[in-house]
Amino acid sequence: MNIYSYVLRRLLYTIPVLLGVCLIIFVLFNLVAPDPAFILLGKHATQIQIDQLHHELGLDRSFIVQYFDIVKSSFTFDFGYSWATKQNIYEMIKNGAGPSLSITGPLFIISNIVAISLALLVAFYRGKLIDKVMLIVSIGGMSIPSLAVVLFGQYYFGYKLGWFEISGYERGFPGFVPYVILPVILYTFISFGADTRFYRTVILDEVYQDYVRTARSKGLNEMVIMFKHVLKNSMIPILTNIIIQIPTLILGLLFAESFFSIPGLGSMTINAINNSDFPVIKAMTILSALGFMLFGIITDVAYTMVDPRMRLK
Amino acid sequence: MTEKILEVKDLVVEFRTDRGAVKAVNGVNFDVFKGKTLGIVGESGSGKSVTALAIMGLIPNPPGRVASGQILFNGKSLVNMEPGEMRKIRGNKIAMIFQEPMTSLNPVFTIGNQIEEVIELHQTHLSASERAAKAVDMLRLVGIPSPEKRVKEYPHQLSGGMRQRVMIAIALSCEPDILIADEPTTALDVTIQAQILELMKKLQKELGMGIILITHDLGVVAETCDTVSVMYCGQIVESADVKTLFNHPAHPYTKGLMDSIPSFDSTSGHRKERLQTIEGMVPSLFNLPKGCNFQDRCSKVTDDCRGSQGDPVLKPSKGVDHNVACFNPLN
Repeated sequence: MNIYSYVLRRLLYTIPVLLGVCLIIFVLFNLVAPDPAFILLGKHATQIQIDQLHHELGLDRSFIVQYFDIVKSSFTFDFGYSWATKQNIYEMIKNGAGPSLSITGPLFIISNIVAISLALLVAFYRGKLIDKVMLIVSIGGMSIPSLAVVLFGQYYFGYKLGWFEISGYERGFPGFVPYVILPVILYTFISFGADTRFYRTVILDEVYQDYVRTARSKGLNEMVIMFKHVLKNSMIPILTNIIIQIPTLILGLLFAESFFSIPGLGSMTINAINNSDFPVIKAMTILSALGFMLFGIITDVAYTMVDPRMRLK
Repeated sequence: MTEKILEVKDLVVEFRTDRGAVKAVNGVNFDVFKGKTLGIVGESGSGKSVTALAIMGLIPNPPGRVASGQILFNGKSLVNMEPGEMRKIRGNKIAMIFQEPMTSLNPVFTIGNQIEEVIELHQTHLSASERAAKAVDMLRLVGIPSPEKRVKEYPHQLSGGMRQRVMIAIALSCEPDILIADEPTTALDVTIQAQILELMKKLQKELGMGIILITHDLGVVAETCDTVSVMYCGQIVESADVKTLFNHPAHPYTKGLMDSIPSFDSTSGHRKERLQTIEGMVPSLFNLPKGCNFQDRCSKVTDDCRGSQGDPVLKPSKGVDHNVACFNPLN
């Protein structure tokens, strides 16, 4: 079986999963959630107004038809219009993706480089002073609530020292750059602790393997051993942890964008939840599910690239 | 007399533990000659592998360290050598193969890549294509069929015996003066074992290197070694050339090891007798007895062995170059 038929098969497997996700969304929004008429028309609407609204939203049709509307939208990306802003949701997502990526893209690259380098460093100096200091710093970073880090960063670096913009956004490069520096730094700090500890464990699993002893007996220096032999063998769990972050990058950082007033998909989703803007929430839920399924497949394909033992026969 | 290439003198290797320092190797002496094979025999934990790692400069430090003694390679001291200097010798002049062929190769790099790596490191004058050609040559040398195809394969596509051949190819690709083989055949089938030993002997003849063969298998020793040192509790208790040792073992421990080899009476086709074992257990390194370390398991034990005469030292028994550390040697 070659890689193409494998990917094709995995894509086919996503269909039942997608149907299930759509079913859950349908049950939650159409059966469990309150009638949208209460949200849109308020308490004093007449039955005629309610019936008219149900007709406009297509809620008077059979459940089967409504369910397949959701399924259809996950293929066409036609999610209809927002209740709150009356805008086309597809256009809203297109507008929000840029600002989201401008913050999550650099954050993704920088935080992973920082975490992997630090993990290699502390794994190399395991048990030494720097390992112990980094343990304390990592646990500290993990323990401080992210909101406290954000508030402190905005107050101290943004307001007191005036080094960075506290919040806001400007579209287009390089206009956005000053606005994303502070969130990228702060969220790198928030995430590095857990990631570094995790990567350190993964790397230490490899450091004591026999092939490392072989590499030493060849006369290789420790840097080559760590960065070539050990790192490539540690890549499977590391890749899993990295790739699974990507869908969240595209969907935006839910809270971070609100804290920094960045008009990305994260803020859009938070606003939609606050306004009970069901179509937008539905659209974002479907996109998340699609994203996780897609990157699950990409993870599996990436495994075969780093580990020949997983290569398909 | 052949050329002496490695000299180990009074080597002591210590490991720091929670219960105090432990001497895993305690005053070991031996020489390795060009083109000759030295066997080091002993039970698990007798200090064989630690001795080998000490020569390679690969004792994990901490907790371990060479506490005293000398390791002279062509007259140059390897103990406390500057790490960069040592790396030039390791894999180049002194190479090592290990007991675990299944796990000693890196699973995510091709065989060819792993052979070329060591060539690139130590033979800097070779170009990339020359290195690739040499990797193929090395695989052919160690008897791997269709080497041009195999260089592109990964370790998991090879059997244990083939992997050990690859390890040997890596070890020999820089034509070392000394090959240390730490139980190279223990993890392999008996038929493969014979093939690997044959291969090592053949390559030794071609390349003229000295071999240190570490094993607990006296059969392997009889087949391949020129001289033998028997280790017990971090010390050499007997050393001799291989014929003398097998015909006239002088230390009761050596005798015990030989009696524990299963044997067949070839005329009647029956097992000769119940298999002999050495009674008792190896004493803990934390709690070595006064006098001879073997006293509690020895049938010839006398008061001399219990510390009244001090510790037994390695001294000539009858015969040339036959040394034994025993107060009551056999024969």
